[in-house]
Amino acid sequence: MKLLRSLRRQRSLLNCAPISARQLADRPMRSALARADGSAEFVDQQNFDRAVARLVRLIPIPAESAEWLSEKDLVPKSKRTWKNTLRNPAVLAISIAVAVIAGVLVFNFVSDLNDFPGSATARKLLAVAASTRPVMLDPVNAEAGTLSDLFFMKHGLEHYDVPDEFADFGTIGCRVFEDDESRRIAQIWVSEKRMQFFLFPAERNGKTGAVLTFPGWRYVHQEGWTGAVTEHNGVCFMAALRGGDKDLAPYVSQQGAK
Amino acid sequence: MLGDSRKAQEVFHATLREAAVRAARGELPSEPFWLFRDARWRCLETTKSDLQPESVEMDERQITADAESQIQCLDPMQLAIWISAAPDPQRSALALFYLDEFDYREILDLAELKLSELSRFLSKGRRQLQAWLDAKFPQRAI
Repeated sequence: MKLLRSLRRQRSLLNCAPISARQLADRPMRSALARADGSAEFVDQQNFDRAVARLVRLIPIPAESAEWLSEKDLVPKSKRTWKNTLRNPAVLAISIAVAVIAGVLVFNFVSDLNDFPGSATARKLLAVAASTRPVMLDPVNAEAGTLSDLFFMKHGLEHYDVPDEFADFGTIGCRVFEDDESRRIAQIWVSEKRMQFFLFPAERNGKTGAVLTFPGWRYVHQEGWTGAVTEHNGVCFMAALRGGDKDLAPYVSQQGAK
Repeated sequence: MLGDSRKAQEVFHATLREAAVRAARGELPSEPFWLFRDARWRCLETTKSDLQPESVEMDERQITADAESQIQCLDPMQLAIWISAAPDPQRSALALFYLDEFDYREILDLAELKLSELSRFLSKGRRQLQAWLDAKFPQRAI
């Protein structure tokens, strides 16, 4: 039944086949023409139509009317509408693919914009912060700024200094551990907003060994945690808490924060 | 559509006048074929008051490979008159189709036809024209 209907529609389309060769935007008509291509009956019909159309063009038009007409603008060329173009499955598939690729590129670009030397380590340490429990740290009751001496004296860690912005916060505990790349990390837990501080070696140039510095404060995010990172004397300091940039912003110096 | 150049000219000018008035009022429709639709209705209105051709069943013949040479022998005005004698909407379908300016979807829109109707009118028109050609030029008919 469906086949019969399809054949009938194809026959109908062939009866309305365009006389002159023009670019066909209509897919069903193109398909019907491709199927009928070369059939004697259709060739006769086309020759018949062309002969009639040639004769129609010879029908005299009164001079008064003819001057109103110009060959070019008798009928505005029918344009493919955006709607029709977008409905085309090929265009739709390509559009989706391009959108996905563009999305990935934009995502990578934005991620790269936020990246800075040490951002990968900072993100790992945010995961550490999320899983740390107070019992894992050695209890210390002092101001965070004073722990530099402890780190130097006890662990030989030079320049592991807490920046002035956070130096006055009272600590609950601290520890020094090695990460999976054997870098020594200092972790401090303070009572203020259950914030945690991390001090870790800044990234270095693989060839020259020079410290890769960056100005001011940079933010990193991981699993609902946010860290504000700054570098000083080859050591990175990160203040981390559960929340967003706005929770940390009041603590960090506005100069150079990104 | 009319088979009469004087009447065609009148319709043409009336259509243009209407278009000019609408343009002056800033009321030109956005639909691209309104001018042709308007002209078609004026043609139909004009022929309403004319003598109507007798409704007779016209002969039909399968179109042949020789039709092209038969058509070449026709006078263009004879063809115009033959088309204008067809009952509407077949007349509109034939006129719009053989003007070779519109694709079939535009003709469906202009003449307010379905695809099956347009197909039937064109196919019937071809066979009737072939029968007329065979009658007019019997020596060329197979």
